[in-house]
Amino acid sequence: MSALKIAGKEFDSRLFVGTGKFASNALMARAIAASGSQMVTVALRRVDIENENDDMLAAIDQTKYQLLPNTSGARDAAEAVRLSRLARAASGIAWVKLEVTPDPYYLLPDGQETLKAAEILVKDGFIVLPYINADPILAKKLQDVGCATVMPLASPIGSNQGMKTKASIEIIIEQATVPVVVDAGLGAPSHAAEAMEMGADAVLVNTAIAAANDPVEIAKAFKMATQAGRIAYETGLASKSTTASASSPLTGFLRNE
Amino acid sequence: MSATLKINGTEKTFDQGLPSTLTELLAQLEINAATVVAEINGDIVERKNFAQTELKDQMAIELIRFDGGG
Repeated sequence: MSALKIAGKEFDSRLFVGTGKFASNALMARAIAASGSQMVTVALRRVDIENENDDMLAAIDQTKYQLLPNTSGARDAAEAVRLSRLARAASGIAWVKLEVTPDPYYLLPDGQETLKAAEILVKDGFIVLPYINADPILAKKLQDVGCATVMPLASPIGSNQGMKTKASIEIIIEQATVPVVVDAGLGAPSHAAEAMEMGADAVLVNTAIAAANDPVEIAKAFKMATQAGRIAYETGLASKSTTASASSPLTGFLRNE
Repeated sequence: MSATLKINGTEKTFDQGLPSTLTELLAQLEINAATVVAEINGDIVERKNFAQTELKDQMAIELIRFDGGG
C-alpha cells in the first residue's frame, strides 16, 4: 500500500479520525490508537469559564498525530477565516479542515463561501483541506486556488448513510490532482472500503467510531476496511461479467450424461 | 473601582478592579492558560503575549481552546 502525501507530508494511514462525541478523552485516545490514524480533527470552542474542564488536547500525542483543526460552527467565509487564524494561534500549526455550514439541520457546506475562505487562507499560508458537497466543478476550483486536498461528503455529517454521492465522487476522483478524502456520512467499515476501492485517497470517520457500542473495536474495523479498499484499488479488481463464470472445473462431474 | 469585561459573550463585573493582564485574568478564573488562545475586541492575542496584554474596562474577550470535533 502506497503512502498518502498531503502538502509534502507522508502518511502511512489513509484513515482520518474525528475526535467529537466520544464518551471520554481516554476512550477517544484508545480508539484513535486502534484506528492507526495519523491525522485527527479537532474543533475550536469557547472555554467554559464556570466549569474548567480537562484539556482534550492533552489526550492526543501530537508527535504521533497530525492535528487538523476544523472550522465547524462557521456560517460564512469570514467566520471560517477567523476560526482558522485562532486555531493557528492556539496550536501553532497552519493545517485547517475548512468547513462552512450555514444550515444546522443538514450541515451541508456552502460552496461559494468555502471557495472564498479557501482563497484567503491559502494566501495566508494555510494548508487548506476543504469539506465540500460532492461537486466536481467546485472541487476543481478549490484545487486550482491551491487547496491541499478536497473532501467531498458521502452523505450528511453524522448520518451514517454511506456513499450516497458515489457517482459525483467518482468524477471528482477522476479529475483531481490533489488527494480526495471522502468525509462525512461513512457509517460502516464497508462504506470506507467502498470509497477506497473507488480510488479515494483517504476517508475521514468520526460519528461511526465515537457513537459505536465499542469505539475501539470499530476503529480497528475501519482501519482494516480502509486498508482493504486501498489495496484492492491499487492492485485492481477482476473484471465483471453479466453471465456466470464457473470457479470450479466444468469437467469430471459425478453424474452420467 | 468597579469595571466590566465581556468574557465569551457574558458581562463580568470586577468590584475590586480588573486583573491587570490576561495572565492574571486566567489565573483568577482558574483556567489553565497553556492551551488557550484569546481574542480581544476581535484581535487575536497569542499565548506568549498574555502576560503583556493589559486589560481595560469594557473589553470584549474571547477565551478559546480545542474541543472534540470531526
